[in-house]
Amino acid sequence: MQTPSKISAQGVNVHYGTTQALQDVSVEIAPATVTAFIGPSGCGKSTFLRCLNRMNDTIVGCRVEGRITLDGQDIYAPSVDPVQLRAQVGMVFQKPNPFPKSIYENVAYGPRIHGLARGRADLDEIVEKSLRRAALWGEVKDRLDAPGTGLSGGQQQRLCIARAIATAPEVLLMDEPCSALDPIATAQVEELIDELRATFAVVIVTHSMQQAARVSQKTAFFHLGSLVEFGETGQIFTTPRDPRTESYITGRIG
Amino acid sequence: MSQEHIAAAFDRDLERIQALVMKMGGLAEAALNDAAMALEARDGELAAQVRAGDAALDALEEEINIECARLIALRAPTAGDLRTILTVMKVAAALERCGDYAKNLAKRSLVLADLPRVEGAAGSIRRMARQVGLLLRDALDAYARRDADLAREVRARDEEVDQMYGALFREFVTHMMADPRLISPCLHLHFIAKNIERVGDHATGIAEQVIYLVSGTLPDEARRKDEGATLGQPGRGV
Repeated sequence: MQTPSKISAQGVNVHYGTTQALQDVSVEIAPATVTAFIGPSGCGKSTFLRCLNRMNDTIVGCRVEGRITLDGQDIYAPSVDPVQLRAQVGMVFQKPNPFPKSIYENVAYGPRIHGLARGRADLDEIVEKSLRRAALWGEVKDRLDAPGTGLSGGQQQRLCIARAIATAPEVLLMDEPCSALDPIATAQVEELIDELRATFAVVIVTHSMQQAARVSQKTAFFHLGSLVEFGETGQIFTTPRDPRTESYITGRIG
Repeated sequence: MSQEHIAAAFDRDLERIQALVMKMGGLAEAALNDAAMALEARDGELAAQVRAGDAALDALEEEINIECARLIALRAPTAGDLRTILTVMKVAAALERCGDYAKNLAKRSLVLADLPRVEGAAGSIRRMARQVGLLLRDALDAYARRDADLAREVRARDEEVDQMYGALFREFVTHMMADPRLISPCLHLHFIAKNIERVGDHATGIAEQVIYLVSGTLPDEARRKDEGATLGQPGRGV
């Protein structure tokens, strides 16, 4: 193995009550890489994504088995605080969901509750840096006190990305981050993902195969709760090894 | 991949470009055989038909290119679909070149009609053209059937064509040394033989596209080629 994985998942099984949603999924998430999860609705890709920062803990009846480590540490160990974990493994959702607060407060909230800022000046700096990295600073710097919900959809999503990266996470999980955005805002978010890759491991769930092809270096194809194929994005989209992958990415009934 | 797309129109489009390639293949093979026949029979009318017929091949290639560009833009093809479109474009380009060689053969046959006959040469050329035409046909059959085994066989058989060319080369040299009046027709005949040999190479290229289409990788081991044969000096090396 050349570079150690950022996240390593081995033999992950997930049940919702009596229904098995994922079976025996093993994936290595590399640092400084965008990994895309693709697959038809209900294939388990979002369920798996949510295992990576224990978002499934909040779902009643959800049972996660197997081993998932972040930098070698088991994230399901009893000593791990899920709130702390989610500061390290940030998440951006399908629908932009800014807090009903000011733009500034949306970004400042995380660093404040995690005690990452020493005083107001420090917090100001974190907010500006996060908004700059989310390619939003120029558009909002004169109205930081305006409500975040007053921004356009694309701006709101970039605000959510700024909020997610404000806690200096190591991994950023994105669950269909562009599905509610127009093509221009989508392009901006995709460009942002590419820039964020320098510092974070990014994992993105997307229904757009073209988006997966554009933004990711690694692609994982899920089908019926199993990981069918995982490889270099270029290889997956030109010469997939599994016929089920080929059927899916070429738009055939599979 | 025999499964159908959810978008049926995509299937129809892919079938259409492949049908156009098959049509090009038929025209190219016929042009080659007709041109060789015109040469042997000194049939100026048939030669003129071959020359005029090349425009149809050019038009088909253009139609294929336009259609492929449209499919790439509209369908964002991946995997096997992408390889189908890429190979269709390459095969169409190869067949267009084959058509050019046949046209050139027809043109030279008109010149040769006014020059002294070279004993046995036209018959040999016709046999070679026929052999290469079959090679082309098999390469396209392999394409239509996604038959990598047949494609590999076509690659191997191109060597026979190279040997036929080598034999003709030596024959022409002998004629030219024996009778300087035959230098001019022999030079034309040699260009013809060389061009037919090039058509064989294009058939090999098409066979390689079949292997890429089926497997996703081009065959890497170079076809064992007797360099001496294509240089007209078997056994003596380069």
